[in-house]
Amino acid sequence: MSMLKFQTVERDSFFTRLDFRPKLVMMAVITIVAFVWESPLLQVAMASLLIVAALVVGVKFSYIRLVITVMIPFYILLLLTHGFFNIDQVKALTGKSELTPMFVFPENWWLIGGGMMSWEGFLYGINAIFKTLSLVLVIPLGVFTTDVDTMIVGMVRARIPYKIAFIFSATLRFFPVLFQEIGMIIEAQRLRGLAMEKMNPIQRVRVYAKVAVPLILGAMVKSQQLEVVLQSKAFSGSPVRTYLHESEMRTVDYLLMLFFVLFFIAATVLYFVFRIGAFGGPI
Amino acid sequence: MSEIIAALDKVSYKYPRSSDFVLKNIDLTIRKGEFFGVIGPTGAGKTTLCLTLNGIVPQFYGGRFFGHVHVAGLDTLDHPISLMASHVGAVFDDPETQLIATSVENEIAFALENLLVSREEIMARIPRALAAVRLEGTEKKHPAELSGGQKQRLAIAAALAVQPDLLVLDEPTSQLDPVGAQEVFATVRELNKELGMTIVMASHAAEEMAEYSDRVALLSHGELAALGGPDEIYSQIERLLQNDLRPPEVASTFYLIQKKGGPIPKIPVWMGEGVETLKKVQKTCEITPPRENWTARTYGGEPLLSLKDLKHVYPDGTEALHGVSLEIREGEYVLIIGQNGAGKSTLVKHFLNLLKPTSGSVKVGGVETSQMTVSDLARRIGYVAQNPDNQIFNATVGEEVAFALKGLGYAAEEVESRTAESLAAMGLSEAREMHPLSLPKGDRARVVIAAILAMKPEIIIFDEPTTGQDYRGAKYILEISRQLHQMGKTVIVITHHLYLMPEYAERVLVMGKGTLLMDAPIREAYHAVKLLQSTFLMPPQAVLLTQELEKLKGQPLPKLLTPDELAGCFRCNHSGRIP
Repeated sequence: MSMLKFQTVERDSFFTRLDFRPKLVMMAVITIVAFVWESPLLQVAMASLLIVAALVVGVKFSYIRLVITVMIPFYILLLLTHGFFNIDQVKALTGKSELTPMFVFPENWWLIGGGMMSWEGFLYGINAIFKTLSLVLVIPLGVFTTDVDTMIVGMVRARIPYKIAFIFSATLRFFPVLFQEIGMIIEAQRLRGLAMEKMNPIQRVRVYAKVAVPLILGAMVKSQQLEVVLQSKAFSGSPVRTYLHESEMRTVDYLLMLFFVLFFIAATVLYFVFRIGAFGGPI
Repeated sequence: MSEIIAALDKVSYKYPRSSDFVLKNIDLTIRKGEFFGVIGPTGAGKTTLCLTLNGIVPQFYGGRFFGHVHVAGLDTLDHPISLMASHVGAVFDDPETQLIATSVENEIAFALENLLVSREEIMARIPRALAAVRLEGTEKKHPAELSGGQKQRLAIAAALAVQPDLLVLDEPTSQLDPVGAQEVFATVRELNKELGMTIVMASHAAEEMAEYSDRVALLSHGELAALGGPDEIYSQIERLLQNDLRPPEVASTFYLIQKKGGPIPKIPVWMGEGVETLKKVQKTCEITPPRENWTARTYGGEPLLSLKDLKHVYPDGTEALHGVSLEIREGEYVLIIGQNGAGKSTLVKHFLNLLKPTSGSVKVGGVETSQMTVSDLARRIGYVAQNPDNQIFNATVGEEVAFALKGLGYAAEEVESRTAESLAAMGLSEAREMHPLSLPKGDRARVVIAAILAMKPEIIIFDEPTTGQDYRGAKYILEISRQLHQMGKTVIVITHHLYLMPEYAERVLVMGKGTLLMDAPIREAYHAVKLLQSTFLMPPQAVLLTQELEKLKGQPLPKLLTPDELAGCFRCNHSGRIP
């Protein structure tokens, strides 16, 4: 049951009552702006705002913690890559001919001796980290706060083809089943006597990779069964159909859409005219 | 004669990639308001027949189709599936796959939305459909929150909401526990009797089909082997057995008594008729209890598996086990029965160290399982999952069997000798280089068991090995369990199919609401009818008939379990007089 709750927040709030269309606009705008901005300060601010907003609307802290925990190795890699190696791009962006050293490894150290982490590269790494965090967190904020039915109708009203909207909802429906299946297969493997606890990480990855065999096989069987079920329920993928749920835009939905459109225009103008949001810009 | 709602006219069909025809020259009519049963072994063509009724065969699958199917006057070849779907509601076997929406009301609305039914009409039909299957008040629930039986009833409600002329159900109870199966049969029967809904149901549930069907079609290798009333079809015991079908035990019992000269002009096929026939027959035949010694075999020595005051509370606070204590000794064959949620899986997961006790202890060979890893335990306890395919990962049968041995660091010679030995024991030496998934399902289970045997475990657990299997498939795997038992292994089987087990199990653990309700030899456990029924388990009909006979005769009988044993008590002559 825990996987079910992955899909929707339990708290009823202003945000959960919004139509899905302003949320789609929000997700699109935040994604584009996060991609464009390179300012570490603004990226930190936006990611922090998203975390606060997600917590306020009821996304569980444990989920956010899980996302961050899973991403930590990637973040470390980003920081090291930009700090040590992204020299040319950072020089070009800041217009500096020399970067400010944060620390330098002694020359006599094997392999990494003489390596320098630059302050500018470090800041660029911070920008990259919070950029990805914003991209990842905007999804639960938009998706977890929307009932799947409302989401589908909202997507169709936003002229997204019904087939795509249906695939989206079916994915959410079958994710718990898939995860349950993965759990069962891994359990079955362990019960075949595989001493996972004695294996090194590479051996474990190889064993886990074998989960794919029964999983794909099972998924293929299930997908064919699903096709037959859909056919028997008169599903053709045609957008010409009725809907039990309605999707009506209220004033607050229009206002939110307007806000994000204005935010997008402002961010674009500020970026290209005043370099606000650019790396090495005023903010 | 009532109106014909569906007609198959010389229907033959071959799937695009099948080598032979799956349906061969089928002529059938289904009448309005009829409960029409379709029976046959796996591969007989039951599902294909069901799918011809809404045009999915051949419109969706393609292939070669001959003849015509008319439903509600429409030729399924000339009308799109989407139109046929408004006349034929379909319910399939797997409750997980056939529910596609994220709420109960959406599940019901889905087909109606596709059929362009107005929103107001959909909102009016949802409560009516839910009321018909007694699921009122669940509109906003996620289907995953429902039990197995409720899920199937929801699938029925979704089909009913379309207001079809015909409701087709393909093995709707095969994946369910007894409570779920009873819920579905009760619902379908009510729809048929009270609302006059025409039902076509394919099922292996012999007892229920014999009782509820108006007519039954027996399919064999794609052909219509027999068609008639359930009394006619289910009384042909030899024909059923030839087709790998299990007759209702009541029919088997009176068939055997008839063969011994019992005055039985018509073999009863359902329990009510059986009791009436028993009343007559027992007056004219002598009842002689068999002389066999059926004392339960006892096992000595130290317990191989022992549980003491085992309690388990899940993190969400659910108390799944309340102080269970039991001991299983080397060489025993133990059957664990109970409803879903009774605590069977939780219990078995403790044997395998997949769950830790909240309190109490679990010992294997005198050692606390908490001191052992899952892989240590797997060397002592083999586990055969309900779906053996989940335990198959390798490209050849030989590699599959050797897989865990290599992982455990055995020397190459040891791996080879154990692999060869296990393959030979399971009769798979010839299949060593074959891909495991290219083998039939029963043989795939053998591959998994061979892999388990290679670890030389003392205990082998079969988890629901008969669920979703036809009679032949179920017997096949139970015969393997017998073979392992004869090899000296301790065997534990979990199943809902009590009628399959008298030939195999010696001892029964009845679980209910997290407690061990009964731990007794099989004869005693199966005859604790009230206890079994209190936990919605249905004892085999032979047991019920034995108890009925005891009442009629006023004399105690041994605790008989099978039609053979019960029929063995009757001594009749052909004149119908007591010899």
